[in-house]
Amino acid sequence: MDLTHGSGTLGAVTAPTDSSAPTAGDLGPPGWLSYDPDPMYDELVGPGGTPRPAAEALWHHLAQLGPEALDERQAAAEREIRAIGVTFTVYDGGVGVDRPWPFDIIPRIIPRDHWQLIEAGLVQRLAALNLFIDDCYHDQRAVSEGVVPADLVTGSPNFRRECVGVDPPGGIWAHICGSDLIRDDQGFWYVLEDNLRVPSGVSYLLENRMVTKHIFPEMFRHYSIEPVDPYVGHLASTLASVSPSSGNPTIVVLTPGIYNSAYFEHAFLAQQLGVELVEGSDLVVLDDDCVYARTIDGLERVDVIYRRVDDLFIDPEVFHPDSMLGVPGLMRAWTAGRVALVNAPGAGIADDKKVYSYVPDIIRFYLNEEPILWTIPTYRCSDPGSRAHVLANLPELVVKPANESGGYGVLVGSQATAGELALAAEQIRDDPNRWVAQPIIQLSTAPTLCDEGIAPRHVDLRPFTLLGADGAYVTRGGLTRVARRKGSLVVNSSQGGGSKDTWVVDAPADPGVAAGFGAGDGSAP
Amino acid sequence: MTATESPSPPVTTTDQVTDDEGGDPDDKRSDTMLLARMAEAVYWAGRHLERAEGTARIVQVHTDAHVDMPVGEDVGWEPLLAIAGVDSEFAERYSAAAGADDARAAEEDVIEFLLHGDGNASSILASLTAARENLRTARPVIPREAWEACNNLWLSSTDHLSEADSREGRVRWLRRVIAGCQFIHGILLGTMSRDEAMSFLVIGQNIERADLTTRVLDVRSENLQPRGADDPYDVVHWMAVLRSLSAYQPFRRAMPARPQGDSTLRFLLQDDRFPRAVGACLTEARAQLKVLPHSERAQESCQNASMVVASAPVARLAVGGLSEFLEDVQLALVEIHERIDDTYFRPNFVGWEPATATR
Repeated sequence: MDLTHGSGTLGAVTAPTDSSAPTAGDLGPPGWLSYDPDPMYDELVGPGGTPRPAAEALWHHLAQLGPEALDERQAAAEREIRAIGVTFTVYDGGVGVDRPWPFDIIPRIIPRDHWQLIEAGLVQRLAALNLFIDDCYHDQRAVSEGVVPADLVTGSPNFRRECVGVDPPGGIWAHICGSDLIRDDQGFWYVLEDNLRVPSGVSYLLENRMVTKHIFPEMFRHYSIEPVDPYVGHLASTLASVSPSSGNPTIVVLTPGIYNSAYFEHAFLAQQLGVELVEGSDLVVLDDDCVYARTIDGLERVDVIYRRVDDLFIDPEVFHPDSMLGVPGLMRAWTAGRVALVNAPGAGIADDKKVYSYVPDIIRFYLNEEPILWTIPTYRCSDPGSRAHVLANLPELVVKPANESGGYGVLVGSQATAGELALAAEQIRDDPNRWVAQPIIQLSTAPTLCDEGIAPRHVDLRPFTLLGADGAYVTRGGLTRVARRKGSLVVNSSQGGGSKDTWVVDAPADPGVAAGFGAGDGSAP
Repeated sequence: MTATESPSPPVTTTDQVTDDEGGDPDDKRSDTMLLARMAEAVYWAGRHLERAEGTARIVQVHTDAHVDMPVGEDVGWEPLLAIAGVDSEFAERYSAAAGADDARAAEEDVIEFLLHGDGNASSILASLTAARENLRTARPVIPREAWEACNNLWLSSTDHLSEADSREGRVRWLRRVIAGCQFIHGILLGTMSRDEAMSFLVIGQNIERADLTTRVLDVRSENLQPRGADDPYDVVHWMAVLRSLSAYQPFRRAMPARPQGDSTLRFLLQDDRFPRAVGACLTEARAQLKVLPHSERAQESCQNASMVVASAPVARLAVGGLSEFLEDVQLALVEIHERIDDTYFRPNFVGWEPATATR
């Protein structure tokens, strides 16, 4: 049947299996052509269902394919992901279960001119955060000059006394940052989180592109899409740039092991980098304070460790004494400057959700620049005035634990039951220091293949930023995560979220949409 | 100085024969390091893949040969259990369930047990699972496609398990396993650098191969000993032995004789060119050991095994005493494995001096 919509004919589309569906000219098609994201901001489709300029070619192509062909391609993508063995682990009642990586075949498109601003904003942010971390473990000028309260630094559970006075190789603490970006219902971009500890997701970003190339090869003729593969080469040079030894450095990836939820990524990165994937028991620190790997040829010196083990588990001599994941003496080797740890221990001081609220000031203080990316207003429950406001307005707020990641413990007030709200209030009163709250941002949506056809689902974006002694690099685009349940704002894969390939394309931005950067004071208007 | 990791002399005598200073630096093929744990994973991946493929081929050939045998002459399905070395595990699991009056093992039970039986750690499916787990661990040192092929083989073998219940479906299932294993080897041969990881994989593969060949010979010949050379089924039996190891055609090309006891034994034990002959497996394993560091003791055990096999009195063994002889060969294979395990996989080798301490 012929279906028309908006500015023109989108081509023949086969209706889904519902044979009683009204024909064209009635109430409209039952399929995805009735797509209307209103009142949300949608990444691909504007108000009234017209595709945004950069998404036109994709949208028309989807229309021509029709729902059955799309379902087939979705199934093909899922088969490929299963065959490649792209998995992540979900913990259910203490038991880890490997699940195929959830992937939606409809890509998300970002015009290049938006992206260039985002890239500049992310590099600016990571540079400032590194200066902040270094300051925290040295003079604490930010405290003495009143930019942040002392408690934010020394009172943080992520402050590591062992790091005080240490000068890590290259002067860099946070080499790899996985930021979470979101857009609101106007299309304005915000940073939601800076993940500086062991952010994961980049392997999925790379694999998503690979799968898309196989599923939609024809689309790559219509678009000039920025490649994502160069990330691995930049990661390799970032790691090499902080090696404490001269000559060709020996780099390894340190994993907690095959049962870790991100093991797939650890193995993937080691394979892509062409380096060994080590567990704690593969490494040993000798009297010379150097780190060695147990190889078939005896012990071999290791220069750079891309560690995917949390701070508190890396060295049982210093942190959790019963950690089986770490390497006894690793902190000693690091403080002696004999090995580079990426990211450095103690870097997590800056990805605290309370520090987040100070980042605009941190950028101004260290860089003497205005922040390029906006942050979301954040209420710190430790402050009595803010706490009272939060407790009085819980249904309109998102409540988050200040020091956790992965979406654990996040409560979206508008979607919580009365019981959940009461529990949250009690937790905030019991330990206000542990909690922050933010206004609920209605995340932007992107067209997603669902049981009912193509429907809007909320998305966020996790780009990865590298900072080495040799410069900075940002992935082109990032990992788009999508909440698969209708209306849900929780996109974490550990909470059932899916993912999309993300295209940074050489195509015009929607003239009707303000980019939302660089305006005002870097916090939300 | 850490309390738990103080360097201590190795408990083996490896250091007496592994003199770093005297070694030829060209012996090492690259500067890429290989973790001991990774070496162990690829070694076992090689063994498990070989075991899956070998067992699949033996079951397939036995199913074919079974059809050929006259009623009353067939040897039943127990020999398969003996070749796989799981007769007692099988008895434990099935004797309780089956009626005690039925002395012979039922075809369905034996097949199920060999393909995927609970309690059979060396079933085809268990071997594929172990190979997959080891390759998953070793992903950073093997080609991506090889891992994907193994993952796919495991997925399809699991998905189609019920198919193997009928004889006809069983052949299809087994062929898929054999082809899948060969596909993985093809990827490795075509795309993997001949590095140390590859050496460990090939060593594991060849030790397992040699072991399987001796077990096939052992069990098959047990049934053959009383037969006369003129018995037409004698030839059928030896042909089945050769086919179980994909050796029939190579045998015909290499040996002028009909497949009989002595010629078959000579070929499968001593041939140096057929990749499943014990002699050839040992030659290959030794060649791979030569390029690995600290391999002197393992090489030595490999050489011992080669000598045992080369000096086999095949004509006499065709008439008697084969089992005892094959046991010696198997013990020699165990020794090779133990020396490799000692040298590379045991944690106590950490007392070695840092290889790059002078840098």
